[in-house]
Amino acid sequence: MKKLLMSTILLVMAVALILTGCGSSNSADQDSWTKIEEKGEFVLGLDENFPPMGFRDENGEITGFDVDIAKEVFSRLGVDLKLQPINWDAKEQELNTGNIDAIWNGFTITEERKKQVLFSEPYMENRQVLVVMEDSNYNTLADLAGKKLGIQAASSAADALNSAADFKSSLGDIIEFDDNMMALMDLEKGGVDTVLMDEIVARYYIQMKDKGYRVLDEALAGEQYGIGFRLEDKEVQQKVNETLTAMAKDGTLAEISNKWFGEDITIIAK
Amino acid sequence: MLEYAGGLINLLSSGAVTTIQIFFLTLIFSLPLGMVIAFGRMSKKKWVREIFKLYILIMRGTPLLLQLMFVYFAPYYWIGLNWDRFIAAIVAFSLNYAAYFAEIYRGGIESIPQGQYEAAQVLGFTKTQTFVRIILPQVIKRVLPPISNEVITLVKDTALVQTLGVSELFRVAKNESSRIFSTSPLAVAGIYYLVMNWLVTKALHAMEKRLSYYK
Repeated sequence: MKKLLMSTILLVMAVALILTGCGSSNSADQDSWTKIEEKGEFVLGLDENFPPMGFRDENGEITGFDVDIAKEVFSRLGVDLKLQPINWDAKEQELNTGNIDAIWNGFTITEERKKQVLFSEPYMENRQVLVVMEDSNYNTLADLAGKKLGIQAASSAADALNSAADFKSSLGDIIEFDDNMMALMDLEKGGVDTVLMDEIVARYYIQMKDKGYRVLDEALAGEQYGIGFRLEDKEVQQKVNETLTAMAKDGTLAEISNKWFGEDITIIAK
Repeated sequence: MLEYAGGLINLLSSGAVTTIQIFFLTLIFSLPLGMVIAFGRMSKKKWVREIFKLYILIMRGTPLLLQLMFVYFAPYYWIGLNWDRFIAAIVAFSLNYAAYFAEIYRGGIESIPQGQYEAAQVLGFTKTQTFVRIILPQVIKRVLPPISNEVITLVKDTALVQTLGVSELFRVAKNESSRIFSTSPLAVAGIYYLVMNWLVTKALHAMEKRLSYYK
């Protein structure tokens, strides 16, 4: 008898939970932006150790390219922006449990991730570019045939090079370094003829300290960055997309891109 | 699986060849150079002694990794010399290991009692003869165990040259490891180092045995 009572109570509770659960997700579908407005702040999750997209400056303040754009977007939308450093490995959980409202930090759009998060329009492309010295006469991938290419070992540049089999086999030698900085130092010294690396990192380094490097126009295929929202937060995604497009049109995006990369490498509304 | 193991062994062996080259070239240059530094360190002239003391302090007092980068890059910034990464690695390793060997030699030479020099003088040996025929053979016997320590360390230190983009055993293993997302290439690399050091230990033991002719 007691057992029956207990199971009935449990059943009722479970049904109630499911019903209320459904109810709340339904409402989120409709007015996810209203919820943000009610809360008064938008919590943005980021990896605080990813220059130049998001990192701590010498005063310990979180700054970066993505952070500058996010600040502008949410000031236009009239909501406070809270920057929440997260463990990058747990980003999807942080998003789905509601600790953060978006993942925005050089977040690569992949088919795999599209099943779990709702992406904004891609706002920039991270190509794998070839950095050469200003005074060299390399202009195309073909010019680099038989030359020495420096690369960071086990990096996304290495993956891109493996996919570009023709280009890879045309090279004379591939020299692997622990990090991009060593590869660039070796380029300056003449140990290698070119360095293949992430465009954002390359542009950022050149912007910080130009030692006479030049980026070839021709590049290897890369990945696109987007902002990741909860699958049901369609309204939020739409608001942010609209604001980004407006910022692209009035030149604000280009301005922020110039500040960090020395040129406009955003791809929204182009 | 077995096919893959064969491929892995081939791949790692190509890296191990570079490792072994660095190992032998470093020994060939650093063992004699250590003797020169030991003499400098024991020179009767104070200023010579001080220079070599400073050299040993720097070589033993800064990371070998930093020395590698310095030797490779510094000549470019000074005189625009762009030299080969492999040569730079050998030079850096030789300079560094010579400093350690020098101190081991010095310990060995200073452990020979003064009386032997006096006896040799009385018997009419010249200074060079005394050193080469009487002192050095004893020194070699005495310094062999501490030298063995350094030689074994050298086998493992060779992994540092990957900083300069030289593709040696450990770099090859790390790349393969991240390619197939598995730690087994690293484990196999560990076995390579172990086998190399087992051979080195055997060789050094054999030398010690040969030299123990008075026991």
